[in-house]
Amino acid sequence: MTEKPENLIPQEPESAAQDEEEIRIGVYTCGCGGNISDVVDIEKTAEALSHMPNVVVSRTDAAMCSDGGQSLIEEDIKNLGINRVVIGSCKPALHRQTFRGAISRGGLNPYFYYHVGIREQDSWVHHDQPDEATKKAIRLMTTGVVKARMLEPLEPIRLPAEKHVLVIGGGLAGLRSALDMARHGLKVTLIEKTPFLGGRVAQLETLFPTEESARDLIRKLVDKVTNHPNVTVYTYAELVGMSGYVGDYHVKVLQHSRGVSDDMADAAIAGCTKEVPDEFNYGLTKRKVVYRAYPGCYPESPAVDWEHYEDGCVKVNGEPLHLEDQPKVWEFTVGGIVMATGFRPYEPYEGEYGYGVLPEVITLPQLIRLIGLTPEGQPLKWQGREVKNLAMVHCVGSRQIAGINKPQPDGQVNDYCSRVCCTAILHTAAELNKRFPGIRVFDLYQDIRTYGRGHEDYYTEASENNVLFMRYHNDELPEVEPAPAGEKRPLVVKVKDYLTWGEELEVPVDLVVLAVGIMPNPIEDLIHMLKISPGTDRFLLEVHPKLRPVETAVPGIVLAGTAQGPMNTQETNAAAAAAAVKMSALLGAGSVELEPFVAYVNPDKCEGLGECIKVCAYEDALTLRTVEVDGKQVQRAVVTPANCAGCGACVSACPNRAIDLRGWTLAQYEAMVDAIALGDMPALGG
Amino acid sequence: MADSTEKEMKILILATLSGGYEGANSVGQSHFEYAANTYVLPVVSPAMFPEDFYLRAFERGIDAIVVMYSGSDCPYRGAAERTAEIINRVFPKMKERGINPRRLRLVAICTVCAKPFLEEVAHANELLSEIGPVRDEIAAAQAQAA
Repeated sequence: MTEKPENLIPQEPESAAQDEEEIRIGVYTCGCGGNISDVVDIEKTAEALSHMPNVVVSRTDAAMCSDGGQSLIEEDIKNLGINRVVIGSCKPALHRQTFRGAISRGGLNPYFYYHVGIREQDSWVHHDQPDEATKKAIRLMTTGVVKARMLEPLEPIRLPAEKHVLVIGGGLAGLRSALDMARHGLKVTLIEKTPFLGGRVAQLETLFPTEESARDLIRKLVDKVTNHPNVTVYTYAELVGMSGYVGDYHVKVLQHSRGVSDDMADAAIAGCTKEVPDEFNYGLTKRKVVYRAYPGCYPESPAVDWEHYEDGCVKVNGEPLHLEDQPKVWEFTVGGIVMATGFRPYEPYEGEYGYGVLPEVITLPQLIRLIGLTPEGQPLKWQGREVKNLAMVHCVGSRQIAGINKPQPDGQVNDYCSRVCCTAILHTAAELNKRFPGIRVFDLYQDIRTYGRGHEDYYTEASENNVLFMRYHNDELPEVEPAPAGEKRPLVVKVKDYLTWGEELEVPVDLVVLAVGIMPNPIEDLIHMLKISPGTDRFLLEVHPKLRPVETAVPGIVLAGTAQGPMNTQETNAAAAAAAVKMSALLGAGSVELEPFVAYVNPDKCEGLGECIKVCAYEDALTLRTVEVDGKQVQRAVVTPANCAGCGACVSACPNRAIDLRGWTLAQYEAMVDAIALGDMPALGG
Repeated sequence: MADSTEKEMKILILATLSGGYEGANSVGQSHFEYAANTYVLPVVSPAMFPEDFYLRAFERGIDAIVVMYSGSDCPYRGAAERTAEIINRVFPKMKERGINPRRLRLVAICTVCAKPFLEEVAHANELLSEIGPVRDEIAAAQAQAA
């Protein structure tokens, strides 16, 4: 379809009117209560900058962010006709919104403002060089002035938004964020890939540090979510398609059939003859192919495990019952997506501490299930044998070192700390002591990291009760071997213990428990579909760990819980609540407001070469469209701002400099570089 | 006019808002001291800079450029790889102009990479002590060409 050239006009900077306007810059140098002014001579800085072309006023203040400081700016805009503002103070992220507010109140477009960090990047790092720090402040603020001359009025991108969110994942984080968003008035659709809600938390028994029942907590949360009128839940469902942009994502969800109707449920379970390892119990038990995950699970309706189902494996009244998976497809529009895809425990490789070779070596998640499966009052048994001595090994699949630890199939080692394992071990040791008095626990650790509130109590309790600690170094890992014939215990753990100055100890045990680390679920398909990024640790990556901790680089897609990194249940709840608040703030008004720092095309320079499109990683952010110019049909690049992440990769690709980034243009950078490179100090008068 | 060698040699640091720029701020928060001839400009992603941006900066008198990108932690898909491709294409062009390619360096700096940031600044200054101002190199190359 041919578009008229005027349709492309909004792509151009709105600079025509500004070109004729006199540029009047106000420069404000902050003393930051001495943080800056104790090192940088701010009066000299202000004086130097006052001589620059277009600078109408150059002031100092002890605290520009204070009400008084902000008023200075507002008054100068109103009284002196200031139409560009340059502020030198703390790092920009701290007070960007403060100053944008002051400038708006003065009646100026808030994007006519540039902020130079002269505290963290000058006064705080050049305490001993005050003269040099002052010169540097002047030069850095000079870059701000030259950029300010080239600023354009910008408006946030406003788009209508569906007040509807897709939550991917029905574990703790997904449930928590869904409930919070529903309570904030958003419509929520939650999809869970497996047939049942609850995720990994449902597989736990009690939670530290409150000692609540994990499944009771999940059940209460599930009840609240499923009974909330704003929430729709699809279990056994996965995202299979997505297009659009923030506020208007079109999603396609495929939901597998549960296979049996409620009236046939119990008969189908009873008549199912095929069994497979039960993933809920980490393979300790078997379950049928028609199954419920656990007593009290949601939904109560059983589901058919289609991966393992075979015709004829379910019989009712002696007759084979044919079950057919006829999935449903749901298509709808959402304004945003919450990624709550959770984690999986690290699976040790065969032979790692004897795992998979010696039957008495299991993982901590398996031990927790074993405890849960053991009736009250009964001893803890493994393969029919009562467990009296038990060794736990920390950091299995965590804090790995390349060259020492065997890499994962993708060639990487898990060099991060999984954070929850230390407290989980000690919490389990306390549970063992309570449920099975007399069990001795040998705790083999590198470091104990019980960092959370109340977590250290478990360490104290363990030290006073049934746990004997041994400390190994990560280049001298413990070894697990079968015990010599005739020994009472089936295994021997050998460890060089640095709590006893390197003594080499041999510990006879009935069971070795590996505290396996946390890894992200394999969601490469979603990563590819949603264009979000994993970090080097394979967990999903936020834009900034401190400043934008739950947002991805894709507008409208946020992270909740352990999809982002190892977290305990407290942290998962907090992260999920943060994701919900972020999404509610984004969509609550029914429209979204985005920073305008996206690519734009100058149609006069664009020749439709398409080089920008070749390097753009964001679907539908850049397209070539046919337009009519001087009676000819030509191709021109067009940006869809809502789909543009603002990375600027397209800018470097265009040989004609026809595409640039609003607010961060190449020409602005060149002017700033010139301001730095100039041998003399123009602001000082040469 | 003073000889260029008497002037401050300048190090331009192009630092990503999601990485190196916050890394520089974390150095400040720790109050670590480093040389004042370093000028950090915040960038969304250095993938936006074409090759001639770097060449122009050297020709204007920037003596060293350290591109502190977010590496594999870059939140923008493909931007880190594209940055590396561009930088790799700049090196031979620097050589053609008589500019020592060691003056340009691409490093991954995270938001809390205080020590690596300091090491990079120290490394750049050591390099400049060894090879001197860029203007001298360019002038020598031009004289040779003439």
